[in-house]
Amino acid sequence: MSEIDRLRDAIVEGDEDQAAIAANAALEAGIDPATLIKEAINEPMDKVGKAFQDGDIFLPELIIIGDAARVASDVIVPHISLEDLDASAGGKVVIGTIQGDMHDIGKNIVSAYLTAVGFKIKDLGTDVSPKEFVRAAIDEKADVVAISTLLSTTQPLFANIVKTLEDAGQRDNFFIVVGGGPVTPEWAADIGADGYGRDAGDAADLTKQLLSAGQKPPFDQPLVVGALKQ
Amino acid sequence: MNKPDILKTLDRSQNGEYCTVKEWDVKRIPRRVSEKLKKYDLIKTSDPENPVNVDGELADRFFKAGYELALELGMLCETTDRIIKVSEEELETAINAAPSELTVGVGEDATVMKARKPSDPYPSKFGASLGITTSEDVWPALTEGIARQQPVDVLEGGSLKSIHGLDVIPSAPSETLVGFEQAKMHVKIREKAGRPGMGGIGQISAVTEYGQFGGYGLPGALNTTDLSLILFPSELKVNYQTLHKVVHTINVGGMIFAGSPAMIGGMPGPPEGAVLSCIACALLQYPILQADVGGGEIYDIRYLSNVNRDGIWALSVTHQALSRNTNLLTHGIANQVSGPGTKELLYETIVGVSTIAASGAAFGTGPRSAGGKLDDYLTPLECRFCAEVSHAASGLPLEKVNDIAKTILPKYETNIKDPNIGQIVHDVYDLETFQPKPEWQKVYDEVKQEAIGLGIPL
Ligand code: B12
Repeated sequence: MSEIDRLRDAIVEGDEDQAAIAANAALEAGIDPATLIKEAINEPMDKVGKAFQDGDIFLPELIIIGDAARVASDVIVPHISLEDLDASAGGKVVIGTIQGDMHDIGKNIVSAYLTAVGFKIKDLGTDVSPKEFVRAAIDEKADVVAISTLLSTTQPLFANIVKTLEDAGQRDNFFIVVGGGPVTPEWAADIGADGYGRDAGDAADLTKQLLSAGQKPPFDQPLVVGALKQ
Repeated sequence: MNKPDILKTLDRSQNGEYCTVKEWDVKRIPRRVSEKLKKYDLIKTSDPENPVNVDGELADRFFKAGYELALELGMLCETTDRIIKVSEEELETAINAAPSELTVGVGEDATVMKARKPSDPYPSKFGASLGITTSEDVWPALTEGIARQQPVDVLEGGSLKSIHGLDVIPSAPSETLVGFEQAKMHVKIREKAGRPGMGGIGQISAVTEYGQFGGYGLPGALNTTDLSLILFPSELKVNYQTLHKVVHTINVGGMIFAGSPAMIGGMPGPPEGAVLSCIACALLQYPILQADVGGGEIYDIRYLSNVNRDGIWALSVTHQALSRNTNLLTHGIANQVSGPGTKELLYETIVGVSTIAASGAAFGTGPRSAGGKLDDYLTPLECRFCAEVSHAASGLPLEKVNDIAKTILPKYETNIKDPNIGQIVHDVYDLETFQPKPEWQKVYDEVKQEAIGLGIPL
């Protein structure tokens, strides 16, 4: 079995320890780190995402596989040369469900996808106040603040996060992305977010695109991914 | 004090075994569920060709496995990372002490829910609507329109986005305010609709415990003949928000209406796993939350619904398992995805609501028009239809309900992931005369005839 296959298997098995061992072994065997990321992490993760959509694997597996992929990318990313480095690699995302809201399934799926594609995630859980979001974004030196909700009445709280970051003179340090049941591209625009994603796959694409756009936040209009699909 | 066993829950939520949410979600739940599925030979027992289960023995095996699961897992308090476990004796005592008959509301307008068996002729009662967000100017007439539908047994109504022009914000004092103001209007609306003694469900506009504090069990607000709605996170988790609502309801001597959906595709995995988690969850609500009416809710996260084949199957087995093996008052929800004005919304209702009613649930609530996600996408007409189907389908043989599901599902199932959201209330319903607009009435009449033709005695 090739080193790439070994790493891919460890990830798909959700085995964090083996993933770290296999990632190190592959690097020692001289395999190009960028190829490793592409063939042993990104390609299988696309398949895993599809298997989840199709109901062939379920949320716990998705989370465990995502964790193993994160361990492997932590080993590999420092070895990628600067010119090969995707500008989004290793970006840090602070994610949570907004104040008062305990719906966490969607947020957990988004978190698993972001983890799997190599972002460092600080998951603040549910019922996170605007103040806690802002605090965590600053303390964690995050690149992205991802806010989830399933409740329409939380919109003013989203606006509050943006406004608090502005008032604190911190708005241009973070991309703000939003999603969840009632959230629409218009909602994102109304509160002054930088991005909207319809589902977890979109959340990953969106975050990657924002971080590699070569432009600082805030955006005039949010980048919208997946609005037209149902 | 009322229901003193709640003290055990509160104590265990501080001192029970330590377990993080992640360990609970990705390890304990999936492992235990898959052990039970193997032990009781339940793997791949769902049958998409026959979405409504007709095998009583299979339902009983699910019940046994779910019962064991309840005792082995307990529930996790996610605020404290502590497990609230119960002994078999505690579980039995709570299940036996729970009501098998309950009057909601007062006098002539009250409704009596009874524990049922599959195909039991006693009707599965229906409460409408779910907490779909509604603008302040629309809410009173829309809620009155729902109350005016005689088949609707219990009134819930939509959630208000603002109160006296002030945004309702989760956890903010505006929630305590809306709790009270909405409850007062709820009481007045029932009078205006000519059903002053009709039972209600609340608090719905406030999402946190502040709604209960503000509007349940206070003079002039919802009172103890109404149901106190207490939802908690899946799978098998509670938190302080839930426990505050429970304690407040007990303090005022009210009725606890609890629930939490088991997620197909989520932590318990396949439909069979979700059924087990759902049964365990339904049972544990009695000892842990001191429920009067408890859940049997299922949701399929791949479809954001449960009126797909796997969802219907899971609902049917869960309610059959619970009703055949206990005398509890169980509750189910059909999660429609299509919106007002569409045939699909009514088709989804026929399949979802008749499955829940005929499988033995005591109570159903709904509808979830347009998936419940869009402001003002709700009309009294689909509320009426849900209640009519719930009552009429209760006594049907399961084989018949399975045949109906097989006939109707192809009419909407390919659209579940891309549903027709239909129309906003004003476009299809006149809230001054409380009459549907002709097109919506016509759709309703046609689908109703179709349902009668298929054997639902509407
Ligand atoms: C399950 C559920 C619950 C469970 C939650 C369990 C849990 N652990 O999460 C329980 C029972 C606790 C619950 C409680 C309540 N609920 Co609820 N609930 C639902 C239900 C049925 C499904 C939600 C779900 O899990 N969907 C599955 C996931 C996978 O989908 P998702 O969250 O949308 O996530 C996807 C995308 O949106 C996106 N995404 C999500 N987050 C993010 C973030 C970013 C940054 C991006 C880019 C993308 C993204 O990616 C995800 C994966 O693809 C919905 C119905 C519905 N139609 O949605 C109602 C619903 C959300 N609930 C509702 C309500 C009103 C409540 C209550 C307030 C009722 C009450 N009065 O008690 C309480 C609130 C309690 C609280 N404080 O939060 C309403 C909300 C109405 C509204 N528009 O405001 C809904 C729509 C039901 C309805 N009325 O018909 N609920």
